[in-house]
Amino acid sequence: MEGNAASSYAAILLMALVVYATRVAGAELMTMIRITPRIGAFLKSMATSVLVAIVAAEMARGSLRESAAILGAAAVMLLTRKPMAAISAGVAIAAVYSGIAV
Amino acid sequence: MAETARSTVRITTGGILSGLRGLGPIAIFVVPFGIAYGVAAIERGVTLDQSVLMSLLIFSGAAQFAALEFWGGPIPTISLLLTVFAVSARLILMGATLSPWLSQLSRPRRMLALAVLSDLNFADSYIALRRGDGDIGRLVGGGLGLCGAWIAGTAIGAIAGASLGDLDRFGIDVIMATFFVATLIGQWEGKGNLVPAVVAAAVAVIGLYTLPAGWNILIAALAGGLAGGVLHRGR
Repeated sequence: MEGNAASSYAAILLMALVVYATRVAGAELMTMIRITPRIGAFLKSMATSVLVAIVAAEMARGSLRESAAILGAAAVMLLTRKPMAAISAGVAIAAVYSGIAV
Repeated sequence: MAETARSTVRITTGGILSGLRGLGPIAIFVVPFGIAYGVAAIERGVTLDQSVLMSLLIFSGAAQFAALEFWGGPIPTISLLLTVFAVSARLILMGATLSPWLSQLSRPRRMLALAVLSDLNFADSYIALRRGDGDIGRLVGGGLGLCGAWIAGTAIGAIAGASLGDLDRFGIDVIMATFFVATLIGQWEGKGNLVPAVVAAAVAVIGLYTLPAGWNILIAALAGGLAGGVLHRGR
């Protein structure tokens, strides 16, 4: 039990180091590269792409519930341009869906 | 992009406060997310202090939830760390995306500011930086607010435990995706964004079924970025 607890703490520290390394690595690597317009376009597209990828995967993995919440949030954002209104709408749709399904 | 980056990049108290204010409402949504993590962690045999320590030191829902899969026996360290790397690797890309601004800070400041980089404050501060506000404090303040909410939620969940039941029924599991959709629509710049977005979405969905967990997001973001880079000279 003692050894198990110690290895848990060691694992937590190692995980923290790995995640911290991913946080700083991108910016450190880029200090060695001159940002040309093409690399600027690459970075800009990547910023959009990483968010698109997370949302698309979420919709593909989830059921109709997640897709309805995401599309509802998108519709509210297009109409109001207010992120909090969009998120609240998405959460409400998911909650109502869960309420009906259960 | 290069021009916006040339405005004075700095970290100010005002910027930190604006980040706290800007992401404050979202941070409140993060509390139930943290509670869900605390409950899940306790159920996997993680102790209260370990779960809070994880939220403080790791501060990544994706990495911490993934790590729980490996708990409850002898920990397979290498598999654990590879999985944690895979689900966190998109932070490398986010850091690279912010680099035109970050590289103007001294290395110690940059590395301190990035300690609180996460999906949500990346999206928030990227918009502010693109608008020409060179204050990295926005990233730091947003990150501190999110981290505080994440730790508080974790502690509540770990203490209250399974008595809370399944929190997804309140819809909290869609917060991150809906925030990203709102961000995407808010920062949409027209047709130039379309091809990279379609490429990223396609690769993310195909990769979901063909790649080990977590890698699809990384490969999709790189593919979308490459599409944008290749198309750049063409137009």
